[in-house]
Amino acid sequence: MRRITATVVGLLCLSAATTYAAEPAASAKDITAVTLANGMQILTWPDRDIPNVALYNFVRVGSRNEAPGITGLAHFFEHMMFNGTSTRAQGDFDRTLEANGARNNASTSNDLTIYMDWLPKAALETVFAVEADRLQNLAFEPKVVESERGVVYSERRTSVDDNPSARLSEQVQATAFLAHPYGIPTIGWPSDIESWQISDLKEFFQRNYAPNNCTMVLVGDLDPQATLALARKYFEAIPRRAGPKAVVTKEPPQTGERRVALQAEAQTPLVQFAYRGIASNDPRSAALELLLRILADGDASRLHRALVEEQQLAISADGYLQSGFDPGLIWFSLSLPAQGDTTAAESAFDREIERVRKDGVTAAELSRARNQALADFWRGQATIDGKAEALGTYAVLRGGYEKLFAAPRAYEAVSVADIQSLANDLLHKSLRTVGVLTAVASQEAQP
Amino acid sequence: MNRVRLGLPIASTWWLGVCLALWAALGVAAGNTPAGVSVPRFERVQLDNGAVLLMMERHDVPLIAFDASLRGGAMLDPDGAEGCAHLLAGLLEKGAGKRDAFAFADAIAAVGGTIHTATETESITVSGSFMSRDRGLMIELLADLLQRPRLDRSEFDALRAREIETLRAIKDSDLGSLTAVYGKAALFSGHGYGKPVDGSEAGLAAVTHERLRQHYQDQVGADRLILTVVGDFATTDMKSLLTKAFTGWRRSDQAVVNPTAAARVTGRRVVLIDAPTSVQSYFWAGNVGVSRAYPQRAALDVANTLLGGRFTSLLNTELRIRTGLTYGASSGFERLTQPGAWQLTSFTQTATTIAAIDLALDVVDRLHGTAIDAAMIESGKAYVLGQFPLALETSAQWANALGDLAFYGLDRSYIEQRAAQLNAVTLVQAQQVIRDAFPTPDNLVLVVIGNAAQIREGLRKYGPITEMKLADPAFAAQVR
Repeated sequence: MRRITATVVGLLCLSAATTYAAEPAASAKDITAVTLANGMQILTWPDRDIPNVALYNFVRVGSRNEAPGITGLAHFFEHMMFNGTSTRAQGDFDRTLEANGARNNASTSNDLTIYMDWLPKAALETVFAVEADRLQNLAFEPKVVESERGVVYSERRTSVDDNPSARLSEQVQATAFLAHPYGIPTIGWPSDIESWQISDLKEFFQRNYAPNNCTMVLVGDLDPQATLALARKYFEAIPRRAGPKAVVTKEPPQTGERRVALQAEAQTPLVQFAYRGIASNDPRSAALELLLRILADGDASRLHRALVEEQQLAISADGYLQSGFDPGLIWFSLSLPAQGDTTAAESAFDREIERVRKDGVTAAELSRARNQALADFWRGQATIDGKAEALGTYAVLRGGYEKLFAAPRAYEAVSVADIQSLANDLLHKSLRTVGVLTAVASQEAQP
Repeated sequence: MNRVRLGLPIASTWWLGVCLALWAALGVAAGNTPAGVSVPRFERVQLDNGAVLLMMERHDVPLIAFDASLRGGAMLDPDGAEGCAHLLAGLLEKGAGKRDAFAFADAIAAVGGTIHTATETESITVSGSFMSRDRGLMIELLADLLQRPRLDRSEFDALRAREIETLRAIKDSDLGSLTAVYGKAALFSGHGYGKPVDGSEAGLAAVTHERLRQHYQDQVGADRLILTVVGDFATTDMKSLLTKAFTGWRRSDQAVVNPTAAARVTGRRVVLIDAPTSVQSYFWAGNVGVSRAYPQRAALDVANTLLGGRFTSLLNTELRIRTGLTYGASSGFERLTQPGAWQLTSFTQTATTIAAIDLALDVVDRLHGTAIDAAMIESGKAYVLGQFPLALETSAQWANALGDLAFYGLDRSYIEQRAAQLNAVTLVQAQQVIRDAFPTPDNLVLVVIGNAAQIREGLRKYGPITEMKLADPAFAAQVR
């Protein structure tokens, strides 16, 4: 969940502005894309500034592919993929990578589980060998499963249970979706974390960790043909599998505002707004990203200026897009001072939203948003990591890696009228869920 | 949901990790393939007023990054007014020169630029990046921010109130980030290194507008400035622009008083911060470590990488991988002009607090025994070496690295000799460094934030307990 925020920020970065569109960008010709015989996609992008490679393996499975009883399982697999195979003991994956100078991480969101390695170029074959091993031969040792269950529960306590903002957003998200699995928290509900069985794990792995469900992106000091030859050597023999079941559930239309109240022993009241959004490949994405920058990106944005600086009703006003294969949410979050007035803050927020719906945005605001997007695009292009994440995100979620290089044109095409129209379509009270966290003394809090 | 979320539970250690990665290694890839990182050409200018300007051209993307350090920082906060430097740093960007706060923010955003001010223990920093075509505006804004900040009273009042509320919000949501703040306040009691870099609720409330303006006059000026600019520009042009912009700046009214070295603590004591609604205990253990000038830094970095600086470290292996007690455990050194903190940090559910602390201390004890062998040393060296190029990939990273060299009086060999130094590390050297720089488990300050009613008795075995409440407005325990 947290990771998708970062991804969306990454997407926001991949824009350009009319003012500054002249800078030469890399082109799709720099990319070598191959689909192996088993359906696994491999993308390479040479960048030889440093003698390292960033590897991102996007697996198309997330909490969107879960159901009651197995919530959190995609995230749990993100952990289990490091815990040993039939050929390698628990910890061997990490020990091998680190002894060869490589670091790794992974993340899970509603839609994807992403595995990342950052390695010296000389370690590429070693990394391929262990990556292929865990896709083929993952072990399900009961003792290891129980230990990792404890780790995941610790992660939940830290990131949700001990964090009022995350507790509130978990409730808001669950309320915003009546039918679609985007209402499932990626970390999983506590009772499910306690209850997964090894049979659940095996079934989930067999179905979802299929090579034909993976897109691997490699950016850095590499030779594309040699890299593809290595990819064939290590990954092509992995048998094709069924892949995730199609998510057929569509969220029914929302017909009125929903509200969540949470009383918590906290010092800081919070108000969150989640509007029904759009999918990642929606052609309106560029306009929505620019609208969000105008409202909530930085000290010059409307919400920060009005609520934080001028009216001093909030100590922060943030916004982000949650989008994926299916329509997600447009989030705004207000943190209030200890004695803050949630009603007044909500009213002030509503006035700003109504203003953008009624009067639109100025040409100067649109230009500013474009320039922020373009500069962030270049900041993302400065690292092999940023390039790998962006390329994979476009390949998997945004309709094809080529669109990464066409993104500037999409942003140039956005007009002030487009943004006002979008605000009118999406930022309507009847299409939102509002969460209010009230800080109370300990004896008053809900159990 | 990330597998290893470095930012939250080990915020201070994450910073240390970056530092370690930056200084600990140099481009020799795994497999012993030489791939040295040499410092690209850069130019250094010192103006008559003392300002140091460093410029390095890089043309891979059309951006310019800058990193300005003003010597001083939180360590110079007046006693009882902790957060003075932090407020000053924040207020610098709330209007400067001809622009009020909004006009200043709008000028940055309108061209997609960024400017970020922050306070560290020994400096106030201003960093950011602009598109290269906007270099003139970038320098104008930076020069205004440093030399002509408005420091308006109304902006001061609003910022101070907001920063106090932000600390309260952190106490609601990010307890893991606070253990080091409490820990350093206890470890460096009465020393500048113990001052919380973002202030405390009580300290911020005590800062007055007049005091802050005086702090600017006393502690900010050209003689305190090291400004590094890296990116897509011509050095001749940039040197001319920067020289013109900073030549006329005054010196600060006071000279920097460098800190003296703090003494290591002997024995063990406990600071318990009662957070009655927390479902976990967040713990930190530390002692005074080593300075930036520590001569055995390569062996030190390898040893700490093995103890708590990577996923398979001894600490993470025991507390996470083997026992599932926590989501993460790590350790690191904060190497400043004088020795800063060595620290380890982790967290666990309330019921397993004592088991997790016992295990962490046992790992430290084993570090001083036979936990490290020659094969681990080789693995640690490969890891640090392999990751190093990733820490010097962007203009912003180079700006930070060059600025650090100048700040600590180091030359380029500090980077360029690192590969050889790391490759030369032996088990014997690492063991010597462990004895010299890493505390034993019976000489520590132990900080625990958690439900005191449930863990107080269990903690007594570690030493005398000083107890505070999370809602207390200061991070240092009151002396009674």
